[in-house]
Order: sequence, then C-alpha cells, then structure tokens
Amino acid sequence: MNYILTGTLLFFTGGIAAVFFNEKTKGAIFLIFSSVAQFLIIPEAFKVLLNGGQLECRLSLSEPVGVSFLRMDPLASVFILISSAGTLLAAVYSIGYMRIYSGKKSELSGYYFFLGLLTAAMLLIVIAQNAILFMVLWEVMSAASFFLVSFENEKKEVKKAAIYYFTAMQVGAAFLIAAFAWTSSASGSLDFSSFGSVLNSSTNISAVLFLLFFIGFGTKAGFVPMHTWLPKAHPAAPTGVSALMSGVMIKTGIYGILRIILLSGPVNPKLAYIIFTVSLATGIIGIANAVSQKDMKKLLAYSSIENIGIIGMGIGLGMIGLAYGNAMIALLGFLGALLHVVNHFTFKSVLFYGTGVVYSKTHTRDIDKLGGLIKFLPGTSFLFLIAAVAISGLPLFSGFVSEFLIYLGIVNGFSVESLSLNIFAVLGISGLAFTGAMALLSFTKLFGIAFLGQPRTELHITREDKDSFLLLPMVFLSIIIILIGLFPYATVYLLENAVKQFLPSNASFMFDQVKMNLQILSGSIIIFGSLILFFYLIRSLLLRKKEVTVFKTWDCGYQEASSRLQYTGSSYAQPFMHLVAELVPQKINLLKEPVLFPKEASLESHAQDFSERFLIQPVIKFVNRFFELFSWIQSGRLQQYIIYGLIFLVFLLIWILGVN
Amino acid sequence: MKLLLVIVILVSPFFFLGIINKVKAVWAGRKGSPILQPYYDFMKLIRKGEVISRTTSFIFQAFPSISIASAVFALLLIPFPFYGSVISFPGDFVLFAYAFGFSKFIMVLAALDTGSSFEGMGASREATYSTIVETAFFIVVGSLALLTSQTSFSVIFSSLSVSAGYSVLVKILLVISLFIMLLVEGSRIPVDDPNTHLELTMIHEVMILDYSGPDLAFILYSSGLKMTVLSILISDLVVPAFPNLLLVMASFFLILLMIFTAIGLIESFIARSRMSHVPQFIFVMTALSLTAFAVIAFFLRGVK
Repeated sequence: MNYILTGTLLFFTGGIAAVFFNEKTKGAIFLIFSSVAQFLIIPEAFKVLLNGGQLECRLSLSEPVGVSFLRMDPLASVFILISSAGTLLAAVYSIGYMRIYSGKKSELSGYYFFLGLLTAAMLLIVIAQNAILFMVLWEVMSAASFFLVSFENEKKEVKKAAIYYFTAMQVGAAFLIAAFAWTSSASGSLDFSSFGSVLNSSTNISAVLFLLFFIGFGTKAGFVPMHTWLPKAHPAAPTGVSALMSGVMIKTGIYGILRIILLSGPVNPKLAYIIFTVSLATGIIGIANAVSQKDMKKLLAYSSIENIGIIGMGIGLGMIGLAYGNAMIALLGFLGALLHVVNHFTFKSVLFYGTGVVYSKTHTRDIDKLGGLIKFLPGTSFLFLIAAVAISGLPLFSGFVSEFLIYLGIVNGFSVESLSLNIFAVLGISGLAFTGAMALLSFTKLFGIAFLGQPRTELHITREDKDSFLLLPMVFLSIIIILIGLFPYATVYLLENAVKQFLPSNASFMFDQVKMNLQILSGSIIIFGSLILFFYLIRSLLLRKKEVTVFKTWDCGYQEASSRLQYTGSSYAQPFMHLVAELVPQKINLLKEPVLFPKEASLESHAQDFSERFLIQPVIKFVNRFFELFSWIQSGRLQQYIIYGLIFLVFLLIWILGVN
Repeated sequence: MKLLLVIVILVSPFFFLGIINKVKAVWAGRKGSPILQPYYDFMKLIRKGEVISRTTSFIFQAFPSISIASAVFALLLIPFPFYGSVISFPGDFVLFAYAFGFSKFIMVLAALDTGSSFEGMGASREATYSTIVETAFFIVVGSLALLTSQTSFSVIFSSLSVSAGYSVLVKILLVISLFIMLLVEGSRIPVDDPNTHLELTMIHEVMILDYSGPDLAFILYSSGLKMTVLSILISDLVVPAFPNLLLVMASFFLILLMIFTAIGLIESFIARSRMSHVPQFIFVMTALSLTAFAVIAFFLRGVK
C-alpha cells in the first residue's frame, strides 16, 4: 500500500516541481516523476489483480473525516492501472503537443500542476473508503480537471465550456452528497463498509438511494441525459487532457457505480433493468449524435458517451445475471464491462492523440475542411486507423472482445425462462448491433473523410515530423489493442479477481469455461487474420510482372473535377441523419435570395442534442427565472450592501445579547 | 466431408450468379450468356494488369484481399445441414456478423480513398443501410436463440428440427427476413441494380468503380461467395431433417438453386425501388424478425 501512496504523492509533487523549472524542462520534470511513480504503482496493481486479496491502510484524520480506511481491492486496481498509465502517456504526449503553445502561453506551470493533482485525486478516489474523504477527493478531481479544461481561457468558447463543465459536475456532486449524507446518517457511520446495511435493505429507500448514486456517478461518466457536458468540455481541453478525461476520468463514474453495486448486496431486478435500459439509450443516442458531428473532438466525445453506454450495458447485464441467479450472465456482463473500460481507455486515447497531431499540423478539427492526411501523416494515420477499427468493435482488435462478451451474456439471457428478461435481451442484442453499425458509420466518416481522398481546402500542411513524443504513446497503445484483439483470453486472467468480487463464491469454475471459449475465439480470429494475409499474398503474386498503371480517379467522364467536389462528412452522413431525424434533429439554415437567378446561396446544418434542447435548456431557463425573483437583492448599489451589513450586525448583537 | 462441402461451395458462387443471369435472360425471351460466363470473366480479369488511382493509399489495395478473406471465413463459421460448421463456439454468430462488418468498414474506406464523389455516395448508402440490416440480423439470431436456448450457430440449427408446431410460422418469417438481407447484402433488385448504368443510382457497384484486373476479380468473387453463404443460412432453416443423408444434401443444393432462381425471377418481375424507399424495404426485415420473436416468446413463455 505504501508504494501506491508514494506513487500518488510523486504525481502530485511532480506537478509542483514542474512549476519551478523553465518552460522547456517542465514537461521533462513531470515525466520523470510520473515514470518513477509507474514503477511503484503498476507492479503493486498487477499483484493485487493477479493474486486477489486486498491492501489496506488506516488513516486517522481530524474531524469530520475521522478514522478512515484506504483499501485497494482488484476492482480498484483496474482503475489505478489505467489512471497511472494514462497519466504517464499523457505526460509523454504533452511534451510533444504543448510545443504549439510555446511562447504564446506562460501557463504551462498550471497545466502540469493540475495534471498531477488530477491524477493523485483519481488514484485516491478508488481506494478511499470514507464518504467525506471520497467527496473531498471527488471535488478535487472536478476542480483540477476544470482548470485543465479552461487552459486556453482567453478563448470565449473555452471559458464557456469550462464553466458548463464545472456546473454539470457540481449538479452531479449534489446528488452524490445527498446520497452519501442519507446513507451515512442512516447507517451511523461514514465508512463504506457500514453502508451495506442501508443499501441492502431491499426497501424502496435503498432503490432511491441507488438511483441517486447512479445519477451522481452517471453525470461524471456521461450517461444520457446527463451527458451534455462531454461534447463541450472535450473539444475545449488541450488534447492530452481530453484523452485523459475521456479515457480515464469519466471511468471514475463507472467505478462509483460498480462500488455501490458491491456494497448493495442482492440486486433488485427493476434497478438492473433501469441501468440496462439507460445504458442502451446512452449507447444509441451517443453514437447517433456522433455521426452528425463535424468537429473531430466532438465526434470522439459523443463516441465516448456511446462507449459508456456499452460499459453500462455490461454492468446492467451483470446486475440482471445476479438478480436472476444466473452467474454466467453476471460474469460475462461484468467481465465485458471491465474489459471495455480498459479497451476504451486504449483506443480512445489513440484517437485523441491522433486528433491532436492533426490539429497541430493543420490548425483545424473540422472534418469537412480536411482530407488526404494519410499522404502527409502516414504514421499517425495508420495508428488512427487501428484505433478506429477497434472502437467500432470489429474483429482482430480489442474492441471486438469486450463487445463479444456482452453479446454472449445477452444471448445467454434467452435461455432463462423469464419473458421480461427475454424481451430485454432482444432489445439489448439489437441495440448493441445498432450502435455497432452506427459506430462503423461515424468512424468511417471520421477516418475516410479526414484522412483519405484529397484535401478539401488548402491546408498548408507539411509532412509528418517523426516526433517520438507524439507517436510513442500511440504506438504503445496500438500494440495493446492488437494483443488484446488476438489473445483475448489473457485478459480474463487479469480481470478474473476483479469480476469475482461481484459473483457468488461458487461461480469461479465458470471462468475456465469463458477462457476456453475465448481461446477458440482467439484461434478463429487468427485464422481470419491469416486468411487476409494469404489472399494478399496471392494478389501480390498475381500482380507480379503485370502492368500496374497509376492514373487519376475515374471521374465518370467529367473532366474538371476538383477536390471540392468530393463527398464531405456532412454529405456522407446525410442519408442516415435523414433516417434518425427524430432522434437527432438537424437545424438547417438555407440562405438564398428569393429571386429567379440567385447569385449567392449558402447552406448550414447543425445537429442538435435532443436532451440538451428539451431537457437541460428548459431546466436552466426555469432555474434562471426562479433566481431572477431575488435579483433585487443584488442591486449593485454600495449603500444597499452597507445596509445589509448593518442589519446583519444588529441581528448578531441582539442574538448574542439574547443568548447571554 | 465438411471440408469437401466447403470446397464445393468455394467453387460454386459464379455458378449461382450464372443461374441468376440465365433465369433473367430466359424470362426476357433471350438466350442469354452461358451459365459459366462469370467463370470466364473471372479468369480473364485474373490475367489482366491494373489501373490504380494516384489518390489512393494502401487501404484501397488491401480491401480486395480482406473482402475475400471475410467471405471465406464466414463460410467456415456457417453451419451446413447435418454436418454443422467447421468452427463452432458459443457466440460464433457475432464473429460471423462482425467479420463481414470488418470487410464493410474497409470497403467504405476504400471507396472514400479514391476521393471520388460517386464512390462517396455509394459508401454513404452502404453504411446507412447496413445499420438497419445489422440490427435486424441480430433480432433473427436472437429469435433463434430464444427458440432453441442455444448460443452457437451449429447447435441452434441442429436443435431447430425438433421444435414445436408454431416453428413453421417462425421459420417462414425468418426465411423471408433473411432473404431480404440476402438481397440487400448482395446488392440485388429492389435495393440495388447490378446492371445499372448510371453511377448516381448505384450502391455497391459505384464503390468499386476504380477497381480493375485481379482486384476486381477478387471483389466479384467475394460478393458472390457472400451471397452463397447467406443463402446457406436460409437453407439451414428449411432443409428437412430426412433420415437419409443423401436426401438431405440433395435438398440442400436444390434449395440453394431455388434461392438463386428466385432472385433471378424477382429481378425479372420488379424494378428497383427509389433510393428513398429502400430503407422502408429493409425495415420489413426488422418487422418480420420482431414478429417472429414475438411469436416465439408468446408460445414459449406466454402460454402456460
């Protein structure tokens, strides 16, 4: 345990130390501290994951926290692993990426300080066992990430996004505080281990508490309809931070939900269905919005929402399995969810890092302005492609494995003799397939339009400089993506102990069954890969000694083709957006002179987020109107404020005199 | 024996495509090209050189091999009547669908790789329609899993023959819905017309405009094989469980022939739909498979 705490402290001090060095060495200093921290944290996390058991230490803090425990079990280790590794990769990447701010920005001190603080908070959150300690760390995490999001605060939209983000986090935190306060006052202790008696009581109160926790943690994770901060905050943050937030930080919400499930004991099937349905909606709405996005980072943010939905489906499935006493479904659900947490961290980080490279080269993230990047940035494009295929859940890569496990869990639900479970299973299986197909649509759009074809505008782009700080994190993560994709059973060994925490103790033999199943899967995927290589070899043999002419693209007889005639991202998505017009309403501005021969015309289309427009905005409007009733208190006149002070003092005087 | 079947199927796709063309020709009162014509075309293409667009990258050249590999791989996963599949494990149908998905992902990218707006159009349509087909396909599989309480292709289909009376209705619904999937995935009328001459109206054909020589041969073969694999899936539902193995195999191939004849007849009878009506046509597949699911759920769980 000491190793973990020392490592956490190293991240924090690394951030502080970076403040005292000059701009060029700040990144290196932070990198050194966080690499040393890896050596302390990673082996320890692996030890707990592989051997099971838990590490524990006792903290005596002053009131109101009091005596509290820090406990690291296999579940916490999964999240410690990705937080620690995620920050190291972000540190490496930042050295390369933050160069675009050199000279312009003297705020790099703040960047590394808050990066260290954020990581330390994320590491401690998953081992804290005391409600107040947890909430303090939770708020530190929100605050640190707020400062990171508002890094470019001279831009108006960044400032707006950061404040939106912080507000959303506080609304979420309010639910958490309510839930924690209720639980701990009912149980009489702030320690998590005593919460079981309250959350366990299978009354309506425990269900309400569970939903409060779910809303609170779900706001951080980005479940629909609490997701609206993600597409605002991710584009605003510097890329290294977007990757860390999307890959790691939102997963602390998932961790919170999992922890509450562990504490709650027997599962209420209704709650399980609620989680499953909300997650399904999150997946579908998230990715349907992603299809229509023009900004690369916004698209990735919506895809994060989708992936949170997939993780949530795994969790919901696990709960359903527990509720029906079917350990196999529970195992597959939780295993799929945890594996997808890890997988999403790997490929989403690569995608964000790749987007950062594109942005630093072209100074735009607008898909419709890009094109043909694969010619200029071959390395980045290749790694981006791997991650894009993986995130669409296609075989040969890691995303397929976790989705496969969830599919298999759902299919097992068909053999349970319960009509409601069967109906949810068919909703789940078709919904998962639908999200998968939409993911294919949005990532072919992202990669196909931005990286292939020809540049749609003049980009002034230079060839990729082989900056290993930028490329190394992507290469490392891509290797993991491929390894998990080809040898999925290895991940079962890694996550086995974490999943066991959720299952009844007699279920461990089922892991062998899953391992065997995944071994056959692995063999088949390798056959698939070899078939591809085999046919490529045949193709090369056939083309040997044949004439291969390089010519322009067939233009169907039209000679004056220019690169602006290419399909854009918007036109690519149009047929689909037409189909889901009710789900993702488009706002179209057509400017045309109402004459017979108009000289100029322009057309703009924007996708609107359904829940932003119909849920969040009306609530904000209502809250605003309510508080405007009290606006006369804040008149802005000094005299009035002095009177307030005077009245307060008089009351104080009366009260003190009265008491005495 | 299983491997022999695989090899027979591997050489047959062009024969089945030839059947479609022959049926269309005979119905239109023409003599038509010989049934083996697609083989001749294939051999001719294999011997040729290629023209490759200078806009393209490695993805364009990788697609033909991936496409053919995914079709051959799907053949290894699909169960044959009586014999079952070469590879079988719980959840194998997910890999079956997603291997095709992988090939589709690369196909769409290969089309966008050329930078041609026509190919972008095709890519966009293909990806859009596949969102509906994919969803419906998993409802079909889900219904079968509910009917049999099984989780792998081979076992699902081998335990299908002993099911109750209402399964006839279910089978009819699922056969029609898989047949629609075959028409969509095979780019046949009324979704797409393989003989159309206007790039603006194409889906699959327009995506492969820039391919020539062996690459084109690979793509033609793999789309034929994909159709054959999907029609094996249909025949799995309808081949009766005769006690005589020879009879089972004979009816299996007869049903494959009937499926391709039916495609030829459909292409002779009806015109392709307007592009905006295609999604409605594909939604029929969703509706039918959901109905099948409801029927199974009603008889299996409802009536007690």
